[in-house]
Amino acid sequence: MFRKIAVAAGLLAAAIAGPAQAQDYPEKPIEFIVPWGPGGGSDTLMRIVAMGLSEVTGQAVPIVNMPGVGGTVGLAEFAKRPADGYTISQIHEGLYTANKLGITELSYKDFIPVALVTSSPQYLVLSKNENFSNLEELKAYAEANPGAVRAGVTLGGVPHLHMAMIEEALGVEFSYVGFRDTGERIRAAVGGNVDIVIGDVASASEFVKNGDLIFAGVGTEERTSEEPDVPTMAEQGYDLSMAVTRGVVLPAGTPDAIVEALDAALEKAMALPDIREKMTNAGSADIYLGHEAYKAYLDKLDGEVDKVVGKLQG
Amino acid sequence: MMLDAFLAGAHQVFAFDTLIYMLIGSVAGIVAAAIPGFTVTMAIILTLPLTFTMGPLQGVSVMLSVYVGGYTGGLISAALLGIPGTPSSVATTFDAYPMARGGEPGRALSLGVWSSFFGTVISTIVLILAAPPLAMIAVKLGPWEYFSLIVFALTIVASLVGNSLMRGLIAGVIGLGLATIGPDPMMGQPRLTFDSAILTPGLPFLVVLIGIFAISQLMGEVEDHGKGNSSDALIPDVIEFKTWAVMREVLMHPVNLVRSSLVGVFIGALPGAGGSIANLLAYDQAKRSSKNPEEFGKGNPDGVIASEAGNSATAGGGLIPMIALGIPGSAVDAILMAALMVHGISVGPRLIMDNADLAYGMFVAMVVASLMMLVVCVLSMRLFLRVTDIPKQFIVPTVMICCVIGAFALNNRVTDLYLLGAIGLVGYGLKSIDYPLAPLVLGVILGPIAETNLRRALMSDGDWTVFFTRPISAVLLAAALLSVIFSVRSVLKMRKKDRPATDEQDGD
Repeated sequence: MFRKIAVAAGLLAAAIAGPAQAQDYPEKPIEFIVPWGPGGGSDTLMRIVAMGLSEVTGQAVPIVNMPGVGGTVGLAEFAKRPADGYTISQIHEGLYTANKLGITELSYKDFIPVALVTSSPQYLVLSKNENFSNLEELKAYAEANPGAVRAGVTLGGVPHLHMAMIEEALGVEFSYVGFRDTGERIRAAVGGNVDIVIGDVASASEFVKNGDLIFAGVGTEERTSEEPDVPTMAEQGYDLSMAVTRGVVLPAGTPDAIVEALDAALEKAMALPDIREKMTNAGSADIYLGHEAYKAYLDKLDGEVDKVVGKLQG
Repeated sequence: MMLDAFLAGAHQVFAFDTLIYMLIGSVAGIVAAAIPGFTVTMAIILTLPLTFTMGPLQGVSVMLSVYVGGYTGGLISAALLGIPGTPSSVATTFDAYPMARGGEPGRALSLGVWSSFFGTVISTIVLILAAPPLAMIAVKLGPWEYFSLIVFALTIVASLVGNSLMRGLIAGVIGLGLATIGPDPMMGQPRLTFDSAILTPGLPFLVVLIGIFAISQLMGEVEDHGKGNSSDALIPDVIEFKTWAVMREVLMHPVNLVRSSLVGVFIGALPGAGGSIANLLAYDQAKRSSKNPEEFGKGNPDGVIASEAGNSATAGGGLIPMIALGIPGSAVDAILMAALMVHGISVGPRLIMDNADLAYGMFVAMVVASLMMLVVCVLSMRLFLRVTDIPKQFIVPTVMICCVIGAFALNNRVTDLYLLGAIGLVGYGLKSIDYPLAPLVLGVILGPIAETNLRRALMSDGDWTVFFTRPISAVLLAAALLSVIFSVRSVLKMRKKDRPATDEQDGD
């Protein structure tokens, strides 16, 4: 009898405590591990996300940069943290390529996707040159001169993946030149040291306006609002989707209630006008996918990456 | 039009609250840089979120004052403790520390501060007058030119070898070898990591720097403990600063000052190089063109001037490609750009046209920031010198703790601390058997840049001869060859003249 009461009381307490815990969450600062160095795309965007999350929850959200080995050092550390919602992190497509190239054992399945918060559409960017000034001419030139077009990418990274997709779709052959980040690639294209690169609005549009570079196509379904004159790859007959999408994740095993609470808080944060404006300024499309939608997105992406990953090993 | 923009920019910089924030930023930059292990980049990252809530120019002005302060602060620990406070002040230890130990700490600090001030001002003048053409040259340089430049920079090892050319070269090779540990710079594939979690991320250059210089220096201090006087001040009580006399002294070396500043500007303008190379290159140039190269490393004012003017001038140099083209010259410039971007300002080749008030405002802010740095340093120098009054048993552990915290905060990786300890022991070991440490650090800095650009060049064009047919690349390679010939000749000459004295070391 006594035992039954105790069990019942325990259950009741648990029933109350469960939601109560989620309601209280967060009751202390949330540490945000950004597995990339300061000043880069991930860092800048996630600092804005952290600012919004802090505003909505009333808790501090300090950013901890843990760069190294293509973003995998920080994620490895993150995976070991307690699954209590007080340490969050970020992933993007780079985790897929790192995993499939054997650089890390970790995959997106080791984390709970909470919400996709940013998407930076990727553009095929041409350096100003005499041989081609649009996608069609590029194709014709590359067909006539296999391997002559120098493509600037981050070897084994997301731009490499996107460039390989383009190479396959056009049915041509580029020669790849490796760079560390988007800034380096764009610089090489402006200086004429490579012919084509993958870039985004934030890093390349000023050079396009100035006439140093050309946007030959964007990997979104519809034309972007920032560059309405740039045709999509699909419009030009190549059904390619190229974007760097960044989402917030939690360690595996985090209680559902906390996942939901964080999802709700992030949704509110990303809707703040000030945060939206800053995100747009930093080159992100206006996008929000919650827990379920983000999970479905990641699964679909997995299949797409599998199709071209063989090209990255060459 | 231009004047309007200039006035609009100046108006914003000279707002009262902006000046106050800049002053705080300046102090923060100096202090962060003065603590070995704490970097300027770190201080700037801390100011980044604060600038989100400021206006764009205000935010950037504050960051610039941290930046300029940071290029000076490193000299304080370099001169007083013999430990470079930042990677940019490695060469400062060579002459400022012996000078301070020799009883002239006030002069060493004043020399450094004034050289830094003039270096920043000269670089700002170059920035204002010649940013667009210089940026265009910097951006046209391909991997061939970068590789050849690094080959040239490697030859300055000869200036840093100390007592024995052989040991110096070995140290340089050790540095190049250490730099190959970790993910390769092109593909990210692990090398020489033996599947250990400690080695997998590679040896971060700053951890090597802190380990090699700070830890070994501190252990050396502990070792000296038994020799008495250890709890005494290192330096006599009455310290003469002679602020104005030293200013004149710095200006009496106009050739060195301008040459070092220009080296700093050019190296700073090359994306990816920066202060950590400029100070050593400027020092090397000063030593080679000096009539008394054997005086270097023993407290020669020219050495201090070259290093400090050279590293401070990279601040203005780094802004050249950023303001003219929207291409960051260094990690700090990348953070500056991110700060502007968040405010909706696209930093690109049209910045000066589209946001002229911002660009001119940044020029004004650079000048204001260097003046603030000067004032803060001159007023607080006496305070900094108190460091030398603190008995060693307090200062050594404190600095050690700062180094450990700094090494951790760099990447927030615990494994870096094991590396720090191991590298510290290696550095101490090498130092005790009279191996110079600067060539090792130079190898660690230059190795990955050389490798990346060599591989990139060959990926762009499989033809080796391109290194010799591109004119700038060919000139740099020729300069490297001449530099080696020059060094070998001077070594032979020295040998002939007399057996070298025992104290021609690199810093201590």
